[in-house]
This record gives sequence, structure tokens and C-alpha cells, in this order.
Amino acid sequence: MAVSEQISASRKEVMRQSAKTQKNPGRHRGWTGRTIMTVIMLLFFVYFLMPLFWLLVSTTKTNTDLFATFGLWLAPNFNLWNNLHDLFTYQGGIYLKWLGNSAYYSVISAVGASFFCALAGYVFAKFRFPGRRFLFSVVLGAIMVPNTALSIPLYLLLSKVGLINTPLAIILPSLAVPFGVYLMRVYASQAVPDELLDAARVDGAGEFRIFWSIVLRVLSPGFVTVLLLTFVGTWNNYFLPLLVLNDPNYYPLTVGLAQWNAVASSNSGSQVIYTLVLTGALVSIIPLIIGFLCLQRYWQNGLTLGSVKA
Amino acid sequence: MKQQLATDRATLAIKDSRSARRSVKGDNLPWRRRVGLPYLFLAPFLLIFLIFFILPLGYSLWISLFADKLIGGTVFVGIANYIQVVQDGEFWQGVLHVVLFLVIQVPIMIILALFFALVLDSGSTYLKGLFRIGFFIPYAIPSVIAALLWGYLYSNHFGPLVQIASFFNLPAPNFLSPTGILPSLINISTWQWTGYNMIVLYAALHAIPQELYEAAHLDGANWWHTAIAIKIPIIAPAIVLTVIFSIIGSLQLFNEPQILYTIVPNVIQDHYTPNLYAYTLAFTNQQYNYSAAVSFALGAIVFVFSYVFMLFTNKDGEN
Amino acid sequence: MPHHLFSKYSKAAMTLALACLLTGFLAACGGSSTSSSNGPVTITVWSWVPNFQQAVDLFEKSHPNIKVKLDNVGQGGTEYPKLRTALKAGSGAPDVVQLEYSELPTFAMTGKLVDLSQYGADAYKNDYISWAWAQSTQGDKIYAIPQDSGPMGMLYREDIFKKYNLAVPTTWDQFQQEAIALHKADPKVYMTNFAPNDAAAFTSYLWQAKARPYTSNGTNVSVNLSNEATQKVANYWDDLINSGAVQTIPDFANDWNTELSNGTLATWITAAWAPTDLAGIASSSSGKWRVAPLPQWNAGDNVSANWGGSTDAVTTQSQHPKEAAEFAMWINHDKTAANMLSNQLFLYPTLKSVLNDPSFGTSVPFYGGQNVNKIFAQSSAHVDTSFQWTPFQDYINNQLTVQLGNAVNGKASMAQALQQAQNDATSYAKAQGFTVSNK
Repeated sequence: MAVSEQISASRKEVMRQSAKTQKNPGRHRGWTGRTIMTVIMLLFFVYFLMPLFWLLVSTTKTNTDLFATFGLWLAPNFNLWNNLHDLFTYQGGIYLKWLGNSAYYSVISAVGASFFCALAGYVFAKFRFPGRRFLFSVVLGAIMVPNTALSIPLYLLLSKVGLINTPLAIILPSLAVPFGVYLMRVYASQAVPDELLDAARVDGAGEFRIFWSIVLRVLSPGFVTVLLLTFVGTWNNYFLPLLVLNDPNYYPLTVGLAQWNAVASSNSGSQVIYTLVLTGALVSIIPLIIGFLCLQRYWQNGLTLGSVKA
Repeated sequence: MKQQLATDRATLAIKDSRSARRSVKGDNLPWRRRVGLPYLFLAPFLLIFLIFFILPLGYSLWISLFADKLIGGTVFVGIANYIQVVQDGEFWQGVLHVVLFLVIQVPIMIILALFFALVLDSGSTYLKGLFRIGFFIPYAIPSVIAALLWGYLYSNHFGPLVQIASFFNLPAPNFLSPTGILPSLINISTWQWTGYNMIVLYAALHAIPQELYEAAHLDGANWWHTAIAIKIPIIAPAIVLTVIFSIIGSLQLFNEPQILYTIVPNVIQDHYTPNLYAYTLAFTNQQYNYSAAVSFALGAIVFVFSYVFMLFTNKDGEN
Repeated sequence: MPHHLFSKYSKAAMTLALACLLTGFLAACGGSSTSSSNGPVTITVWSWVPNFQQAVDLFEKSHPNIKVKLDNVGQGGTEYPKLRTALKAGSGAPDVVQLEYSELPTFAMTGKLVDLSQYGADAYKNDYISWAWAQSTQGDKIYAIPQDSGPMGMLYREDIFKKYNLAVPTTWDQFQQEAIALHKADPKVYMTNFAPNDAAAFTSYLWQAKARPYTSNGTNVSVNLSNEATQKVANYWDDLINSGAVQTIPDFANDWNTELSNGTLATWITAAWAPTDLAGIASSSSGKWRVAPLPQWNAGDNVSANWGGSTDAVTTQSQHPKEAAEFAMWINHDKTAANMLSNQLFLYPTLKSVLNDPSFGTSVPFYGGQNVNKIFAQSSAHVDTSFQWTPFQDYINNQLTVQLGNAVNGKASMAQALQQAQNDATSYAKAQGFTVSNK
């Protein structure tokens, strides 16, 4: 009752802060100014979407037309359906498997990592315990470590425990996201009022229940943000899977496509599959774009709080 | 528990809420609550973090103190590898590239991102929603695929940019020449990350409380003045944050040059960035130990840059 | 500050120790060993040969007790780092692995390749072309079975040569003169492309010029990229590049594909695996290409070289070395398998029996009906046999790529660039514990 009211109040406060409609004095004047600004922004819009437009156009071409016709417009032969058909049937439809792998690794990593980050961030924000400062500075410092420093020892470690060439070799390391902990800590210290926790404790709620049914709910925008960041991170990960996976059946999209690209421009095999690589690239980014569009409200709010307190 | 809290409230009423809070988590709590619980909550993260981050890192540090020869095996060499790094021209060449990249790319990107964020926030453009998501979309594209895409777009033959230039009889820019490659790399990163930073800054702007504008009382202040006088100072911490992450990202540049390396290996050489160099050392040259030393040297440089930047920004009295 | 740091370190050490404990725990859980089996044995094979599964199917059909798991972990440069890391880690390497000839000394050096002579591979000695066999062996140790090769030749555009009234060059001098004439006649056309990224291609030029830049004998190596023959090759290409008559873009890349198909490049100095590649890359120029032997340094000579090709080796991590060896030997020696490799997978054979088979090679429409393979078979017979590699060829090829790039970008003459590569390789070899005598 009281607690849940407070939850929704504190959530509303967070939402109000970030989702309010602004009427600030910086608002632009008239119609001309806005139009000029819109034109400028449209130019940048073209810049940001031109490569994707090129990609879209290219996937409608045959291999020959790809290199022979103007890149930013359609060729006479519309070959999109053939390319899509080839994409999903080439090498026994392995692309579909890669798509599935990417989704599998990313979902598991994202859910697991966000949960771990939420727990850790909450503890760092709301508890004072010995080692807190030290641990948190280690976590922050971890962001500065170059990935090559980790790759070899990580490989050796994974092979020691027999995890090379298994999905776990991708998922387990992806569960530790120091930046996510940082984000959740900042978010939790702002979004979770101490009074709420105190009240819940007074009501006799156990710490796990407090976390599970109160904190997690308050943290949900931050949680979704970390979820998305981790999802994108794992989905886009190239280096680690390239290193630890050998079986193409386990490849995520990034590694699979990079390998197709290597085959396309290799000296053993005469397989002209450029359009396949490009069609694969296009299809691989569609789920992410849809995801971002659908969850826009969440991550835009989540990033707010992550950034306010540097 | 309830009673204790009540007593606390009574006795500490004059004190601020902060010290009242301390009593809940303070030293008078049992060990289980004070230490056990936080560590229990931290355990999942810490366990993974220790095994897959700290442990490999420690091992890496350890092997950087040895030399593993193809003939003669492994010998302890102390800091000899680090001394070699300091004297290694190829390493410093890579550092020079990423520092150049940093001082050009980061300002361009952050200024663009800030500009977009301000424009979107002030509502001085139509089609806000379209721009917000449109600028952000490149972030969703894996950097491997982004580099691959731009590799095609930069092509001297069928790249649309060159096609357009030759259509208008303009001299075709050579994106993949030794002089063109750095701007080309800068472009890829800017394209990919500006939208992300824009969203972070936009979100920060969005969170500025209304009252601040009212208090500022800017009669007749225009868009530009508001931005300079109020908005930018308030979101300065967010700007600092984006800059720091951009610094770290720039110095660790790897994916983009690695993909372009496969297209123009003689322009982007195997030591074009320190990270690429460490990769080559480990995986091509079999110099795992030296590679580890190079990685740590790079880590130190990243740390120095981030630290100096933070000192620099703190001096101005920002948070 | 300092004492503060120290306390940090001691805590870090403690956490590290804790982590070690945890890993030990994981290791105890994860390490499940495979029990001995009476049923079929499964071996893992790494190969990047397209459609290799067809050959694998053939093998499985004739060996019901051996199951083969085929993985394509990437072409050469992608596969070797993985193999190296797996060999170093002690697990994760396949039973059978595809290796190029130039990599064999490198991996043999690590002691992680199985000597196949114990499985009867020495019986095959005289069945393979001699240089390929020589490069697969060290003394009486057999580290790999040759799979395919790349005896060299010149693919050329007959229409371009006709149009500008040029004869097909038989010497490098003639090649140079015609290159300059051709580029003068049409500045958009180049005689050929010198690929600054392709150390292997450049090495094959050295091979034909009888330069022997590398020797290796146990712990004693030599790297000599400044000898007379190497300098001859370097200066030759330097002159051609400086005259502007040859193109200098990376090979096996999009732009290069385009230039091969649109008539910018009049020749491709290449190897026997190339005709099939080219037909795929430049399908629109079908019928216009022909094949000729390599131009010679001395008129009337008939010296060829090899570029590319690979072998199958067995790693010491294999739990079933006998079966793995059987695979490497059978797939590259059995008549049906060898025929499939050369006729359906377009690998250029190393087996004398296939090369000498009168039915080997047919007329190819892409090459105006020419019997392409026959020309390369002659080339194969003239490949100089004494070429060697170093046990750190990846490193050298990497340095070569860097230095050829410098030369092409005008940062140094090619001879200077090669001298630099030699210096770098020498200090690398010394640091790795080799004795270096650059003779």
C-alpha cells in the first residue's frame, strides 16, 4: 500500500523529470528559423542514413550490377528476392542459424548481465560496506582495459575449463559489464529513495523481497537501458566469438558475415557472394532497429539518469 | 527494528537525514547485514567479473614479465618487455595515430552531438522524432558491418561517392590512400557514435528542471544564449562523461582499422593503432608476452589521458 | 598515496587468489574426459576449401568407422591465429588441419604436428611433385600431405593485346617494354597489377628469379632479402611502378575485381588456382582471357615457381592420430578423392598421376576454349624445387606487406624496403633464440 504508492510516486518523479514537455526560453522563434534548421538537420539525416540506403539498394542487385551500376540507385534487374532466397539457403541455410545464435547469446547475456548489474549497482548505491570504494574503483578502472590484454588469457582460461567452442564461451564473459554496474549505481542512487527502503524494512520485508518487488520495479528504465546496451554489445561482438568459436554452427552473425566477406574476396574459391554478404548485413541490423524503435521511451529515459551525475 | 528506528528518529531529529540513514546501515547492524548481505548481492557480478576479467588481466600482467622464445622457452625478464615498449617506434607510431584520431574525432563528434541535442531539445526543427531515431540508428550497426559498409562506399571504382564526383567531373577523393585513411576512419566512428552521444546529451538536457529556466529570467534571450548560458553548463557533467568514454574508445581503436586492414593492408599497417599492434604481436608474431606488455602500456596511456582530462575539467569547478 | 596503493595491491592479490580457487573449481567440474569407444571415431577437420564436404562424404563412405566433423574456421590468415592459440592452450585444435606450405616449418617448429611417417606416409614419397613433397617434410619426418599447388602462369586479355598489336611477352624485358607502350597508348589500361599487400605473390616472383631469401635448418636460419636475385626483382618492379605503367592496388579486393573484369588490367601474373577464380570474379569478360607461361628472366629459359596451395597436417592434440592420418593421406591420395579435388573442387593437383593423366584438363570456354590446366601442368614440371621457408613465415610476410606498402607509397625504394624487412626479421629471429646467418 504505502510502499507501492511510494514506488509509483518515485517512478513518476523520474518519469516526470525526463518525459516532461519542455517550454523553455530557448525555444526557436518563427517559421523561417525552423525551416532553415530543419533543412540543416535533413542534410545530416541524409549523411547518417546514406550508407543504409546504399545497403538497401545494393541488396536488390546482382553481383555483376553491384560493381557496374550507380551505387545509390536501383539497377535494371531487381534481384532482392533472389538474394534473400540465396541468403537463407546458402550453405544449408546457415545464416538462419547465425541469426538464432546472435539472438540467443544476446538475450541470455543481456538479461543476465542487467540483472547482475542491477543487484551490484543497487548495493553500491545504497549500502555502505567494507571494500565498497575499492571495489567500485576497480569496476570503473575496468572500463579502461584494452580488450587485447584480455583476449589471450581469456582464451587460455576458457580452454582450461573446456569451454572453447561452446556458447558459454561467449555468454559467460558477456555477463560482466562494468559500465552497466556504473550506470545502475548512478541510477539507483537517484531513483531509489531511502525512505522507500526504510519504510519497506519497517514493514518487515526481507532484503530479497525489497530488491525483487520494489527496487527492481523502480529501476526498470535503467534496467532496460543496461539490457539494451548489453544486448547491442553482445550482438555486435566480433572479437571474442572470432577467437573462441571454431564451429560455424555456433557463429554469431558478425563472425559469419565477416567470414563470408573473406570468402568473397579470397583467392581460393571463386565464389562471388558479395550480394549475400550485403543482404546478410541488412537483415542482421533489422532486428536491432526494430528493438530500438519499440523501446525508445525506455532507453532514452535511462540514459538521462546515467549521464546527469558524472 | 521498528522501535529502534523510532528511537533514532526521536534522538536524531535535529541531525540531517543523512546521518539518520547511516544508522540503518551503520556500524550497529549485525555483520550479516552490514557485510554479508551486500556481498551476497554483489556475488553474481563479482564472481563473473573476477573470473572473466580480473583473473585474465592478472595473468596477462604476469606473462608480460616473461619472454617466450621459439627456441629456448620461457624466461623471466622482469620489466624488460616494458622497456622495449617504451623504445618501440611502431608502438609510438600507433599511439600517434590514435592521439591524432582523438584530438580530431572527439571534438567533431561531441560538438555535433551537442548541437543536435540542443536543436532537438529546443524544438527548433520539424521532424524531431525522425531525426532523433535516424541519427541514432548507426549505433545499432555492428562496427564490423559498419566498417565493411564504409569499405564499399570508399571504393575507388564503384563507391557512390567516387561515382558522384566523377559524374560532376570533380577530382575523385581517394579515401583509402595513406593521407585519406585517417579522415576515413574518423568518418566511420563519427557516423557511428554521434547519434549515441546525441541521445545521452539530449536526455541530460531533457532532465533540466523547468524552474531553472524561470529563475534565469532571460528576457529576449535567443536560442544560442540560452544554450551557452544555461543548458551547456548544466549538462557539463554529461558532456564530460561522453568525452571520457570517447577518449577511451579512441585510444583503443581496433575494429574499424582491423576490417579496413583487410582491404588496404599496406595503408593501414599492422601497427596502425596500439590495439591492432598488440593483436598482431600476439596472433601473428607469436609474441604473447610482449603483446601483453603493449596492452598494459596502452592501458596506462588511456588512464593518463582520462585522468588528465578529468583533472582539467574539474579545475573549472564543474562537478 | 603510495601506502594507499600498496593496500590496494594486497587486496587485489587476495581477490586474485580467490579467483584462482574458483577457476580450479570450474576446471574440476568442466573437465569431462571422453571414454574409450568401440563405435565410430569422430575427427575434426579444419579446411577452407569450398565444398570440401563433398570430398569428406566420399571419405566417410569408404571409412564407416570414422566420422568427420568439418569446420571452416576461415582462410589461412584467419585460421592460423586460431590454430596457434589452440595449440598453445593445449586444447581446441582440430585433428586434421589445412596448412599452406609456407606455414609448415612454423607449425612443425612448435612440435605440435604429428610425424606421419609412422602411419606409412613415406610410401607416397614419389607420388607427389617433388618440391611439394620436399616442403612437406623435414629430413625423414613427414609433417603434412600435399593437397594442392599453384604452379604459376600468366593470364592475359587477348583482346587488349590484339587491339594494341602487342605480342604475348615471353621475357620480363619484353613485358616491361610492352607495359610502358600499352599505358602510353591508353592511360586507363595497365599491363598488370603489383599487389603491395600480397607478400606471397611477391615471394613467388623471387622464387622464379631463383632468389633463395630463406633457409632454415633447425635453430639456424637465414633471411636474405638483399641478395642479387632479390634486388633484380625489386628493381624491376620498382622501375615499372615508378613508370606508372602498372597498377598498385591490393589484390583480392573489390576494386581489384572490378579492374580485372572491366579491362583495366591486361594480365594477371598468377597461379594454377586462379583460372577458376577469375571466371567467377570477372564473369562479364568471358571469352577474352587466355593463358601463357610466365615471362622469363633469360630468353629461352623455362623456369616457373609456385604460389599458394596447401597441405593437410595432423596435430598432436588429436585423440585419434591414426584415423586423422588416414584422413589426411586418403583424401589427398586416393584416386577418386584426388580426382574429385581437382575436377570438382578445382584444386590444382600435386599428385603426378593426376597431372600426367591424359584426361586431365579440358577446354574452358572462359579462356576461349583453351586447355588451361595443360599449360599449368607444364609449369608445374618446371617449378624450381629448392625453395624454403622460415619457421616464422607469418612474421616475415607481415613485415614484407608493411615494407612493400612503403615502397609502393614512395616512402622508400623497394630495395631499401626489403633491406628493412630483412633487418626487422633478423632482429626478430635473434630475439626468438635463432642463430641467424644471412647468407
